[in-house]
Amino acid sequence: MQANGKAIAAARPRVVAALAARLRDLDLAEDAFADAAAAALSVWPQQAPRDPAAWLWKAAFRRALDARRRAAVRQRAVLDAPEPEPTPEEALLAADEPIPDERLKLIFVCCHPAIALDARAALTLKVVCGLSTERLARAFLVAEPAMLQRITRAKRKIAGAGVPFEVPQPSAWPERMEAVLATLEIAYAQAYEDAALAGDAAGFAPEVLRLSGLLAELVPDDPEVLGLAALVRFAEARRPARLDDLGAMVPPHEQDMALWRRDLMAEGAALMARAARIGRSGPRQILAAIHGAHLSRRETGETPWADIAGLYDVLLAVRPTPVTAVNRAVAVGEAFGAERGLAALGEVDAERLQSWLPWHAARAGLAEKAGLRVEAVEALEAALNLGPPPAERLFLERRLRALAH
Amino acid sequence: MQYMLLIYEPEDAYADEAGQTALTDIVQKHMALAGELREKGQMLAGDGLQGIETATTIVTSGGQQTVHDGPFAETREQLGGYYLIDVAHLDEALAVARRVPVIDGGKVEVRPVMTY
Repeated sequence: MQANGKAIAAARPRVVAALAARLRDLDLAEDAFADAAAAALSVWPQQAPRDPAAWLWKAAFRRALDARRRAAVRQRAVLDAPEPEPTPEEALLAADEPIPDERLKLIFVCCHPAIALDARAALTLKVVCGLSTERLARAFLVAEPAMLQRITRAKRKIAGAGVPFEVPQPSAWPERMEAVLATLEIAYAQAYEDAALAGDAAGFAPEVLRLSGLLAELVPDDPEVLGLAALVRFAEARRPARLDDLGAMVPPHEQDMALWRRDLMAEGAALMARAARIGRSGPRQILAAIHGAHLSRRETGETPWADIAGLYDVLLAVRPTPVTAVNRAVAVGEAFGAERGLAALGEVDAERLQSWLPWHAARAGLAEKAGLRVEAVEALEAALNLGPPPAERLFLERRLRALAH
Repeated sequence: MQYMLLIYEPEDAYADEAGQTALTDIVQKHMALAGELREKGQMLAGDGLQGIETATTIVTSGGQQTVHDGPFAETREQLGGYYLIDVAHLDEALAVARRVPVIDGGKVEVRPVMTY
């Protein structure tokens, strides 16, 4: 049963993309796939398909055409004798036809810059990966009706504004690919934060892992695409070690390396090697290199903080955000001492960061390292006042207790 | 698909001398773009509009119609012209919209035309 569910999830991007390309209708494609998947779950246990994706494609396409025919009949109010409804078994017997690979087009449609940025990631996860609106609402911290509205509005824009189901022209490629990468990065940032509190059940990190790998397969010559896939793999490799037995967050340099996933580390390293051969750097590759540097502790026994600080210098040049600057200050503090870390932190525009937990955590860590107990306690309390999720709360409370003694 | 490209520019953009110089250049670019679109069979219509000091607005409210001097809204950017084009899809419309010449601060809104 679970194996069937997995086969359906694995087939989904290809089948929904092919349906959407053929039907030019995202809703119809999604509905038809859902119908076919439901039929598969009841039929497959008795009669396992040779090729699950082909089975789903045929069953869903027949269902979609049928739905369209019925809608057309309703509209004309003419009662033609309906064709007998095709069964999935018939679909299985239909002539073999390869499923056209339209996955990249579907990703470009869902990540089109004409769609609101906050809707793109959710729409991509919904349409390409099949995540439910309810789960997306939870992950993106909005109410379910709001998420539904966001997705509905995005779909209406796609249909109404004439967003093409095409891979963009070479001249538009850089901008469009940047929109795709930004979308997946947002989705992953969400999944990464989500994981610490929800364990392996509620997050959608596996979907982003699959999606980034799919993109690397479809666009193998863009180093930033490879960098993003590597970044997600490196970060996910540490997931089993991110919480301790009590459910408290564990920072990367204190994690139990035996728990890190070697399969994902190897995949990430291979992707990075391919990206390096192309020889064009970018922010995702730099971020992946930072994650990779943390993982190198497994070989050397030590976190290479000076290297990490250097990588953050490079990242800050291409992505000069307060978030980068705070992370850089932490690495500088670890590599060159708390005073220099605090000095780096002092250069950050703190105004916008007051409600951002890592800012206070970084302040606390550096102040504690510098022996500034009062400042450290103040920063930890400010962090706790933001109402962090359980894993972070446990971690911060533990540090606050340690400072009190 | 048909798209209307609505050109919004700061109303006072062409008021000074620098604006007048820019205007000559922008008008030339409009002519070139319109000519090219016509040649491709993509141009359905397109015009520049006279300034908002020439605008008159009719307001319908509560079954009554009144005539007002001026544009419907007193905003910094005003509708100054439009193109009505026929292209395959949004990406082509956006590509044309990018080439519509505007003065700094100008905006081009792309709206699909309803089909019945």
